[in-house]
Formats: sequence, C-alpha cells, structure tokens
Amino acid sequence: MAKKKTKPVFIGMKLTVEQAALLAQLQEAFDSTTKTEVLLRGLELLAKSNTLSTIPALQALSKDQEVTAQPTTSLELARLEAEVRQYSNIVQQTKNKTEGVIRQVVEEISKTDKILSKYGGDSSALVQILLDIQHENNWLPRDALIWVSQKLGVPLSQIYHIATFYKAFSLMPKGRHPVSVCMGSACHVRGAPRLLDKVIEVLKIKPGQISRDMQFSLDTENCPGCCALGPVMVVNGEYYSNPSTKEIKQVIAACK
Amino acid sequence: MPRLNSATDLEKLRQEILNRAKGKRTVSVTNGTDGRARGSQDIIQAFVAEIEKQGLKDKVAVKSTGCHGFCEKEPIVLILPEEICYVEVKPEDVPEIVSTTLAEGKIVDRLLYQDPATEQKITKESEIPFYKPQNRAVLGNNRFIDVESIDDYIALGGYSALAKALFKMTPEEVLNDIKKANLRGRGGGGFPAGRKWETTRNAPGEIKYVIVNAHEGEPGAFMDRALLLGNPHSVLEGLIIGAYAIGSHDGFIYLRHDSPITIGVVTTALAQAEEYGLLGENILGSGFNFSAELHRDIGIFVSGESSALMTAIEGAAPEPRPKYIHTSVSGIWQRPTNLNNVETWANVPLIINKGVEWFTGIGTEGSKGTKIISLAGNINNVGLIEVPMGVTLRKLIYDIGGGIPNGKKLKAVYIGGPLGGCIPESLLDLPVDFDELWEAGAPIGAGSTIVMDETNCMVDIARYFLDFLTEESCGKCVPCREGIFQMLKILNRICEGNGREGDIELLEEISGVAKDASLCALGQTAPNPVFSTIRYFRDEYDAHVKKKRCPAGVCKMLSAVEKS
Repeated sequence: MAKKKTKPVFIGMKLTVEQAALLAQLQEAFDSTTKTEVLLRGLELLAKSNTLSTIPALQALSKDQEVTAQPTTSLELARLEAEVRQYSNIVQQTKNKTEGVIRQVVEEISKTDKILSKYGGDSSALVQILLDIQHENNWLPRDALIWVSQKLGVPLSQIYHIATFYKAFSLMPKGRHPVSVCMGSACHVRGAPRLLDKVIEVLKIKPGQISRDMQFSLDTENCPGCCALGPVMVVNGEYYSNPSTKEIKQVIAACK
Repeated sequence: MPRLNSATDLEKLRQEILNRAKGKRTVSVTNGTDGRARGSQDIIQAFVAEIEKQGLKDKVAVKSTGCHGFCEKEPIVLILPEEICYVEVKPEDVPEIVSTTLAEGKIVDRLLYQDPATEQKITKESEIPFYKPQNRAVLGNNRFIDVESIDDYIALGGYSALAKALFKMTPEEVLNDIKKANLRGRGGGGFPAGRKWETTRNAPGEIKYVIVNAHEGEPGAFMDRALLLGNPHSVLEGLIIGAYAIGSHDGFIYLRHDSPITIGVVTTALAQAEEYGLLGENILGSGFNFSAELHRDIGIFVSGESSALMTAIEGAAPEPRPKYIHTSVSGIWQRPTNLNNVETWANVPLIINKGVEWFTGIGTEGSKGTKIISLAGNINNVGLIEVPMGVTLRKLIYDIGGGIPNGKKLKAVYIGGPLGGCIPESLLDLPVDFDELWEAGAPIGAGSTIVMDETNCMVDIARYFLDFLTEESCGKCVPCREGIFQMLKILNRICEGNGREGDIELLEEISGVAKDASLCALGQTAPNPVFSTIRYFRDEYDAHVKKKRCPAGVCKMLSAVEKS
C-alpha cells in the first residue's frame, strides 16, 4: 500500500486534492497494491463501459462487479489518463532535450578539438584558435572556451580576457547575415553616419545588436580598405557603395 | 618544381620563365579589394572564357593582379606590353576587348580614360595624369604580377637581391647599405631602419626574430594591404635579406584576420618560396637558414604598436609595455626582435639591387626614397599613389588626386590617420617629408591622407578620431584610457551645443597630460587630432562654444537649434 503523504504524488506527478482523494478511494475499492495497477484497472473498466459510477458506486462495483458508473468518474479517469500521457511526453521531451544539449556540446567540443589539433596544443596560438572557433560558429560558445582552457592549460579568466578584449569576438550568437557599416575616416567624411542611420532604420537594430529572428546582426567596422566606394555597407561579405534606403531594403529582403 | 640550389639555378629559372612568356600578350586585371567589390572576378572569368572561345589561348595570358593604385576607376584592365589601359570595365565589354584589341591590335576607344580637364582620351597608362607625376618604384610591379605566381616575380628580377646579398655581401655590408641609404621606417615613426637593425644585431642572445608589421589598423589606409596583396614576394625578399643582415632565423608576418584574400595570398607566397628553396633550410645553397610564419591576429589599433604586437604574438592581449629597454633588444619572449613595416621591407631589395646612390637620389635631405600614400575622402581620384619624398601636398591633391569633387572648396588635409593631424589649405605647399610634416603638427604616419572639403566640420573630425581611439585604447594606463575619454566627453558636449567657456583650454590641458604621461605612442599622440584642429581651426571651436553654431552644418544638435 502506498504511504499516506502530505503532498500526494502519483507516479511522480503532482495531483490536485480531488484527484488524490479519488485515487485513494480507488485504491481502497480495488484493494490493489500498486498505483499503476489501480490506474490500469480503472482504464480497463473504462474500456468496458463508458459509464462508471461515482466513487460510492465504484465501491459497490467492487462488491458485485456490476458497472453502473457515473459520468463524472469517467471524466476524472480520462483526465488522469491524459495527464499521464502528458507527463510521459514531458519526460520524453526532457530526455530529447538533454540529448540535444549533450549532442551539441559534443559537437562543439569535437569541432574545437579539430581546431586545437591544427595548432598542436600551442598556447601562444590562443588568439588564432579563438578566431577559428569564432569563424566556425559565428560566436564563442562557453563550452568551447572551457574545453580550450583545459586542453591548453590556460586559465579560463585569461581566455575571457582575450575574448572580451577584441570586438571581433562575440560571446553571443551572431545573426545569420552579418551587416556592417564602415565608420573609417574616409567613409566618415563621405557621410558614413548618415548611412548608418539609414541601416538602423531599415534593420530596426542598433550596432552590436541582433534582430529578434536571429537573421541579422549589425556592427560597425573601421575600414575594409575600399575607400573609393565609401561610405560602404558590407552584407555577407558583399560591398555596397553608398546605398539608398530603398537599396538597403532590397539587399536585406534578398537575404531573407 | 625543383629546389634552387645556387644563384645560377635562380638565373636559369628566370631565363626559362622569360622564354616561356616570349611573344605573349598579357591581360592584367586589377583584383584588389576595390576591384573585387566592383566585380573584377567576373571580368577575369569572362576573359579566360572569351580567349578560349576565340582561340587565342596560346598567345594571351590573363593575370589577376593586385591594386594598380587607381581605385576610383577600377576595375582596370591593362594590356601588356602595349600598356593599353581600359578603365571601369564591365564583363560585357570583354568580348569586344578580346576581338578588337587582342585579336586585331586595335583600341576600344570608349573604354579609355578620359582626362576631365582636356577631355582627351588617353591610351597609355603612364600618360594618365594620375600616374604621370608618380614614381612607382615599390608599387609599380604590382601590375605585372599575378598574385599567386612566384614566377612572375622572378621574371621581373625577383630574389636577385637576395642572391646578391647572400653570395656577394657580408651581413655587415648589407646593414651598412641600409644605414647609408637612410631608409626610414614607413610605418609611422620614421625611425632609421638601419639603426634598428644594428641594435638587434648587436643585442646579446642567439635567437633573434624579425617581424613584418602588416597590421594597418588605421582607417582610410590601404597601402600595406595593397602591397602585400599585389606583390607579396617583394616584402618576403626584403624580410629574408634583413634577417640575413641581423642574424635572425625566424620571422613572423603579422596580419589582420579580416582580410582573408591577403591571408590566402601570403600563405601561397610562403609555400612557393619554400618550395623553391628561397625560404627554410640552406637558402639557395648558401647555408643560411630562415623560416617565416604567418601570424593571423585580430588587431585593434593599438596592436600596431611594436611591444603590443609582440605581446600578441606571444598569445596574450596586446597591451604595450614600457620601453625602457627597446624591443630591438628584448622583444618576443624577451629576445631581440626587429620589427618593420611592410613598405620598409619592400624597399630593402630595391636598395640592395639598385644601389644606395639610386635610393638617396630620390627624396629630400632627411627623407629618402619614395612614399606610398593612400588618397581618400572628398577627392576625385581616390587611390594609392607612390611619390618621391618632397612632393608638395598641393601637387598630391590637385595634379594626382584631380582636386575636390562637386566644385567644393578644400578645407584641410588630414594626414597620418587618428594619430596624425590636419594641414589647412594655406599650408598646402608643404612637402611630403617626415620632419617637415612633424613640425607642422601632422606627422605622416603610415601615409594615409584624407581630404576634407567645406562640408566637413573640424570639431566633428576631432571628436570622430577620439571616439575611434577610446574604443581602440587597450586601457592599461590611466592617462590614455581616461584622458581620451574625458576629452571625448568635452568634445561631445561642444558638438551638441552645450560647450562651456574654458572648454577649449581644458582640452588643451588634458591633451598635454595624455601626451606626457601615457605609456605608448597611442596615448602620447592621441591628443594630436585635438591639438592640430585647435591650432589651425580655433575659429570653428569658438563658433561651437560661443555662438553655438556649427559653421559646416555637420553637428546635428547645433544645426537643429539654429533652424528652430
């Protein structure tokens, strides 16, 4: 017999007070030993007839094996069944999720390992390794950094020192389509701030931010080295010379 | 390709390459950063396909070259040996060029450069006014070299300076030549390269390093990128010669990660040189060993500073250190390290090959040779130019640069990037010279020139550069980190129309402290934009502070106040 608990729990699931009472009554009625059996018996009866009696009726039922249940009990049982299903779904989802997370971490680590092996565990290549990780993932995942720290024997704090020192590194995922506007001096005198305003208006995000759908991220840079085109917007590595608002919209729409 | 084991092997190979190319025409297409952004890749493909189609494959070679300098008119197609220069070519023009010029030897008139002053069409590249006053000793070879081909460089006499140094000169003689030539560092400081080399050579320690500083963090500067992308072997040859003179066997080429094209080109160049035996063990059979490694770094602006750069190569964050002991004596891993800029290294083979007299024959008393300068900003011919030292700024801007677009008036020329200074219109007759420009408050730096017209506000420019510098300062020392930040705050205030009486004097005071007390050159020269704009354009500052007015109409808040 199940022990009486202050917080009634049914196969790991919290029950409402009414459900718990119902369960206790069912257990008594069937005189069963396990909770699962109670439920199974209940479901069995449910399958036999759509109309189960209320709890007193059920008690009667256990005596004379006659099924004349009330609709309320059947509803309760149906609800219980649904909740069990829901619970098992949650268990499955959590399991999948954990597996997904584990798989992701394993993937990240194996990718990082490939990069590390390229440099032969040389700790002076730290910046290059971080750059490769950044190129590979578009950002620096924390797990990868921890792995690098352990593999190279470099303290994590030192890795974060470098990762936060440079603007080129991102500790947050970047948008799928990186957009940047050159703010170099040659572009500045040719009106780069005005271009940046236009891009902000179209993308509706500020420099350093990522759009909500994770599609775009906006950054400023200092001179990609094509001053004759200035002011320049760079989208996915393509250069656009002083685009109008309309042209920016077209370029952005083409990315989607 | 077999290894070259002697100077004779190299000469033999050179003859072989020249014989192979005999009687062939060359189509050289600019494929640098600007060119690529304007579709030069498609043009190269179109040429290859069209030449194949018209059956000229054996008679014409197509070369994808680095920047020719004339960025404004790219993509440029140059037909050699006639030097026919077509500008702003589109893929659609290719069939016509192939059938008319390559097959029949006639000229496609509509693609020629038209001089805006005389409206004359110009066929030859060397006669275009943009190129005419230049002396492209270092950059000129870019147009003959396919960036992926070491053979093209060897055909032009490449690596003969290395052979000369290794077999006919002692390291001391090489060093003396560089000292006598008075080659000054092209990266910004203008320090004599020979003296630096000597210090490293004489410094105690078996292991010494040499570095190519190709960081170029300056906005509006693209000299080093273009040189390294267009002619990587010239830099490499200079580096090997320098290593021989210094007695170093390991070198680094420090590059920024965000120019993947350059990284690719340099990687290929290193591999090719190694294959030919020009790099690695026993170079050209001389017994001299030297290997170079590409160091790809992120590089913020301060990474270009020598001690910061060396810290970065060691794998730490690029923070400069006090230089009581110079990096030439104690650099990477506390070993003597010699660092020079890309352009400085590229000058070395020329000096060894052509002689000290040739080099000292160009330029002024204190500054010898040529200087590569990037012209950008509000100017008609944006581009990369190489002029003998001593040319006046006026010639630079009006003769080569073609003046200011849209009939605007020139206000100032900003030289040397964020750490440089401005030269007002009245001083345009100053020559390009390390010392003279230093005195005028606008050190030449690496050679970036940004032209400003009357629509640019000088206070805004100073604010812009400080804004750039606050983000690029490493934050290690207080005068730089806090000084620049406080100056920026004041400048922001002035630009927003909230400037107070005495702000300009306060700026000057903070500038002085930052200049005297900062650890490295970044902090020491960071107040330069403020100093030089106050020095030449105090009236604009006064208008902002006292009259709450921006004369150029750039500063947003002020213009709004004025209108309402």
